[in-house]
This record gives sequence, structure tokens and C-alpha cells, in this order.
Amino acid sequence: MSGNNDNLGKAVKDFLAEAEEIIDQLSLDLVGLSDCADTGDCNPDLVNSIFRGAHSLKGLAGMFGFTDIADLAHNLENLLDSLRLGKAVLNQTTVSVLFDSMELLGTMVRGAGTGVSDTQGIERAVSRINSCLSPPPSTETVSPLAGLGISEKILGALTEYEEHRLLENVKKGRGVYSIHASFSLMTFDQDLGELTDTLKQGGEVISTLPSAGGGLDAGIDFEILFGSELDTAAVTALVDKDNVIITRLGGGGRGAAETATSSTVADGEDVTAATGGEAAAAADTAVTAKSFSRTVRVDIGKLDELMNIVGELVLSHSSISQFVANLRRDGHPALASELGKSAKVLERKLTELQKGVMEIRMIPVGQLFEKMSRIVRKVSREQGKKVELKTFGADTELDKLIVEDISDPMMHIIRNAIDHGIELPEERRTLGKDAKGIIRLSSFQKGNHVVIEVEDDGRGIDVERVKKKAREKGLIGPADALTDREAIDLIFLPGFSTSDTVSEISGRGVGMDVVKNNIAAVSGMVDVESTLGEGSRMTITLPITLAIIKALIIASAGRTYAIPITSVLETIMVENRDILTVEKKEVIHLREVTLPLLRLDRFFETTGMSDLLESFYVVVVGVAEKRLGIVVDDLLGQQDIVIKSMGETFKGFKGISGAADLGDQRTILVLDVGGIINEAMRGSA
Amino acid sequence: MKKILITEDSPTMRSLLASTIGSVDGYEIVEASSGFEALRLLPREKVDLIITDINMPDINGLELISYVRNNPNYQHIPLFIVSTESSEKDLEKGLALGANEYLVKPFDPTRLLELVGKYLG
Repeated sequence: MSGNNDNLGKAVKDFLAEAEEIIDQLSLDLVGLSDCADTGDCNPDLVNSIFRGAHSLKGLAGMFGFTDIADLAHNLENLLDSLRLGKAVLNQTTVSVLFDSMELLGTMVRGAGTGVSDTQGIERAVSRINSCLSPPPSTETVSPLAGLGISEKILGALTEYEEHRLLENVKKGRGVYSIHASFSLMTFDQDLGELTDTLKQGGEVISTLPSAGGGLDAGIDFEILFGSELDTAAVTALVDKDNVIITRLGGGGRGAAETATSSTVADGEDVTAATGGEAAAAADTAVTAKSFSRTVRVDIGKLDELMNIVGELVLSHSSISQFVANLRRDGHPALASELGKSAKVLERKLTELQKGVMEIRMIPVGQLFEKMSRIVRKVSREQGKKVELKTFGADTELDKLIVEDISDPMMHIIRNAIDHGIELPEERRTLGKDAKGIIRLSSFQKGNHVVIEVEDDGRGIDVERVKKKAREKGLIGPADALTDREAIDLIFLPGFSTSDTVSEISGRGVGMDVVKNNIAAVSGMVDVESTLGEGSRMTITLPITLAIIKALIIASAGRTYAIPITSVLETIMVENRDILTVEKKEVIHLREVTLPLLRLDRFFETTGMSDLLESFYVVVVGVAEKRLGIVVDDLLGQQDIVIKSMGETFKGFKGISGAADLGDQRTILVLDVGGIINEAMRGSA
Repeated sequence: MKKILITEDSPTMRSLLASTIGSVDGYEIVEASSGFEALRLLPREKVDLIITDINMPDINGLELISYVRNNPNYQHIPLFIVSTESSEKDLEKGLALGANEYLVKPFDPTRLLELVGKYLG
């Protein structure tokens, strides 16, 4: 493949890592196979999954030109294909040949690229593999499937393997059932997973054919072929679901199958005696237990689960601490101090555990940058523009889920930068700029946040044009005087687009407001700075993780809220007389800077707080460059909280990012500081 | 921009397919790591071309092709199989079910791009 060497190098690395994962999994599966080979009663899924592994390995090795590996994998795949289709016999000899070949494959993968090849070893392995391929047993000419009344549609989509499994079930005298189930598109994988798991307890799931749902709008139907010794009533009882229709297609009364299974035919042969010793000797020199890549792939859902458990442990710990305090208060100082000590140890270990789980979730933003470089290449070519992408700080780490969630908004920002920012080469030359535009993508950690900047040296944002457009669209009044900064922020309003012609790239109805909302959804903020003629800079500020955070617990109008500590700059006590009113907004002067105030009770339109207090607390919060003082009734202390989403119902609810449990069974709301600041700056609060 | 859905369970093979096609102007790639994921993506993304492997966990490529060809919303979408030559019978079945083209792994990038160009113009 053409393209640069770095990408290719990385692709080869990915291949080797995946190859090794496959081989590790296959080796495990082979242990399972060896356990059941004697009885001949192996789970067909197991054999099929080993086949699929060898199959993938062959395809991949071929793509990267590792012909040795591809060849050996091909021979293995052949044998496994015959095994799963019942064309070869599974016994301990076969298993040991599979084991040895797999080990050799592992050695080859680990040594890939060194140019050293054990040609003799490979030849030996291939000839042993082929010796396991016994000629296919005589097959019946009349397919017993004909009488089953399985629809053409299902038969047409059966793979050779599935067809074989169906035949095997018929031969074994099992009943064949068609099981029809309808699910919603949202949850079908889980629902179907549950159904097949249940079915597998009573037989074999042979195939699963999806079709467009009949009734439900967003539904999907599945037609499952199921082989089982159970009768219809028992299958119905096993499934026990309303939305599932079970039809018995046929298959046998027990013992009806006349053809004997072929599993005993070649059992006597033993190939191991001839070649086994040699192979073992060869293997001894080559085997190494060391793994090539020391990584594991983990489903992020599992990490979330772990994180939830850590969160619950943190809660239990705070109730223990509370208990310690109670003991001390009630006159049990000795007991309190002892339990207090244990609680401290628990706390330390919990912190380490929490940190550990958090680190696992982190991935370098470089992965995101790589995607963006693809976008830059593509979009610049489409636009006939010359663009060079420079990246900095690719090793900055960020929560995997955040990276996923900002990848779409980032893509849009980049597209915008090329589409609206960078000029055409001729235009740039006339302007005295280099014909090639530059987009700088940089990332760095700043306290508890990660900042990602997208900077271009294009034409910048024309503030006057933005204002004009905003007036035309009625987003601002004709008399509204705006600073340049405020004017630039107009681009984030829904329905704003300065582009005269809607381009195919950026103008597909996704505005900067969507970009901003997507970033806000992960508690992030986006800021723009721009100089006309020189370029623009988008600054995205993101929390490092969303999973578990330290929060300041506050009270306002009799309600309790949590403010993520990462957004809290300080808390101050303010006298009522220090409050000034500027343009109908309350502000205070804090170290020569005017700080706008926001009263939480008014923001949420709750009642109960008294305006008559002489002095009160102000929590100074900030995200990116913006600052706001939130007026609260009381500060209740700091606590670790796990933010839980409140679901779709509260999605549009401004100023709230989720809910959290406190140790005492209370659930409180978590403030979305970025959202509140934006609302306040817009003047709607 | 034409949207191409790649259904392939091997991450490396998937990214090879994606980077081959993604290297050319005007194609946007949507990746599915299983048949299920493809089923979920189809109604959400307006896909112009589907590329699928045959041997996959959950539902296999043939079942996916049957689903696509029997669904009025998707039956017009061109569909390629990219699979290894071992399953010749399965390939034939895939074509009988209505796959437009098939490529054998290891696939030839130039040929793949030619075919994509032929169907998406």
C-alpha cells in the first residue's frame, strides 16, 4: 500500500498485536478442545471459533506479506474447516497437531520481520496437518433437509458450516425448530443474546437470520434455527416469552437417524508416534512464554462497572468516617481512634484503586489526532487547498469516552477551519502568505483539565460580517453594541452560519451550536479567538475524566447541589453592601476584577433563600477564560462523587449535568458549571 | 460525500479496508465490528455501499446480505463481500443472495478502489 512508512509501521504493529491475541485465544480454546476430544462431544461453537481465528490470521498475514505465517495459517484453517464440517476426525492426535502448529505460529509471529524463518519446521508442521485430513466419509446423495420445510430464505443464507450443523442435528435425531422473535432496534443485541443463551441450555443454535421487523417501526425480527432433543412444549417452557413464536419444523424421533456418526472410524490411527517427538524437540528450542505485546483489550463497560464499584466503596467509606465521628461525639474516643485508623488505611488504598482504574481508561489524544489528519488530507484535497497539519502533545492522556465523544465536534471544527478559514493557494500568495496553510493541533494538560487547541493561519473571523449576519437573522437587535469577543461568540448561536454558499463539507446543517453542545455534554467548553486576516484559534477545555470527581457540596434555598471541584477557583465571604449593579446585573469587585454574580435560587427559580442576609458565600467558578461567582447559602464540604446521568428526560435541563448519591442515601444534583456560565453571560439569568 | 459501511470483525483488517478507501476523495467510512453493529448502523447512517466479511460472530455475512436484500430500505445498496477463498461455497451463496462483487483476502487495494469507483461513480 502506498502512503507513509509510519502508518505502515503502525499497521504492522497492530497486525502483530492482533495476531498474538488471536493465537493466545486459540491456545486457550485448544485446551478446551483437548478436554472433549476423547468423548467426541465437543461444542461445535468451540471448533468454529478456532476455525475463525485461523481464518482471520491467514487473511491478515497475507495482507502484510507474511507469507510463511499465511501459509501455515492456511493449512491450519483447512484442517479446522474439515473438522467443523465433520470431514475430519477430532481426536487427541489432531489436537496435539493443532497445539504444535499454534505454538509454531506464535513463534513465527513473535519473530516476524526478523527475516529468520524455520522453513523445515513449517514443512514438518504442514505435513502433519495434512496427515490429519482423512478422506471425507461417503455422503448421502439425498439431502435430508428437503423434508424439513425450512424456507428458501433461511436455507439460502446458511453458510456451509451452518448447513453441516443442521444436518448433524437431524442425524442425531434432534428436533429442528424455527424460533421467530421480534425485538426493538435499540436493544436487540441484548435481547437476542439473552434468548440464545437460554436456548443453548436446551440445544444448539444453528443460525440466526435477521429481517426487517413487521410490526414495530424501529423493529427487527430474527428467525433462529434451533436443534434440540426437547419436545415443543419443553422448548416453549424453556423460552417462556410472549414475543417469541416457536415452530417445530421436523427432525427426528430419537434413534431415527440411520447413518452412524463417523467419530469412531479412524480413532485407532496414531500419527504422533512417528512425528511427535521431532516436533517436540523443535518446539523446545523455539518456545518462549514472553508475550510480544504486553497489552490487553478491555471493554470500556467493564471499566465503568469497576468505577461504579469504586464509587460505591467511596460512599461506604464516607459512612464509616461519619460513624467514627459519631463514636467520638458519643464518648467512645478509643473505639473511634481505632476505627479511624483502619478507615484511613482504607481511604489510602481506595485512592490508589481509584487512580489505577482511572489510568486504565486513559488513552493518548494522539489517536484522535490521527483521525483528524485523515480528515485534513481529505477535505483539503476536496477544496483544492494546501494544508499542513502540525500536531503537538499527542501523548496527552484523556478518558477514552471523552475522546470518543469529542471526535465528531473536533472533526467539524477541523472541517470548518479548512472550509472557511484557510484560503485557496492563489489567494494566500496574493496576501503574501505561504501557499500552504497550517493547522496546528495541540494538546496539553492544565490542572485537572486537558486543553485541545485547533489553530489555523487562515482568514480569521470577520467580526463586522458576523454582526451584520446576526442582525439580519434577528439574533441581535439593530442597536446592540457588542465587543469583538461577544460578536465572535455569536457563531455558537443556533441557526447561525456566515457561509454564503452552503458548502458540502461544513454546511450540512451542523452548526457550531451543535459542536458546542456536544462538547458541553462531556462537561467541556469551547472558546474562539480570531484575528482578521491572520487566523483563528478554537480552544477546547475538557475534564480529564468524567467517571469520578471531587465536588464541593453546597446548599441553596434548602436544596443541596454538587459543584465539580475542578471548576471551583475559590470560595469567598461577601458582604451584602459590596454588591454593585452594572447594567442590571449584580457584580462584585474581586482583586480589581469585576466578577458577575449568579444567584442559584433565581437561576433554578426555586424559592426559600433570604435576600436579607448581611453576608453570604460566593463560590467563584471558572471554565476556560470565563469566571462567575455563584451565590450560595452554605458550604457543606468536599466529597468524591460518581456522576450518574439522569437520562433523556432531563437532557434539555440547563445547568444540571447529572445526579450523584451522597453517603447518607440522599441524591443530589450536580451543576453543569460550563452551562451555567454560558447562560449567565448571555444575560438570561 | 459517499458513505461506505465496512463490516469486519478483525480490527486490523477493518482499518486496512478503511484506510484504503479513506485515502481517496469523497468517501466517508462507517465501521462495524460485527453483523449486529451493522444492523444497528444501517437505519442511522445513509449508507451508499456495504462491504462485509462472511465469517463473523453473532450474525454472519450471508445473513447480513439476506437482511439487506430483503429490506426495501436497503435492497438497492451495492454490496461487496471481502472474504478468504476458503469458503467458496459461501462466496457463491453470497452472490446468489445478491452481493454485487467479491474480493478475496488478501485483497488488492487497487482492485477494491476500482470496484468502489465503479459502483459509486
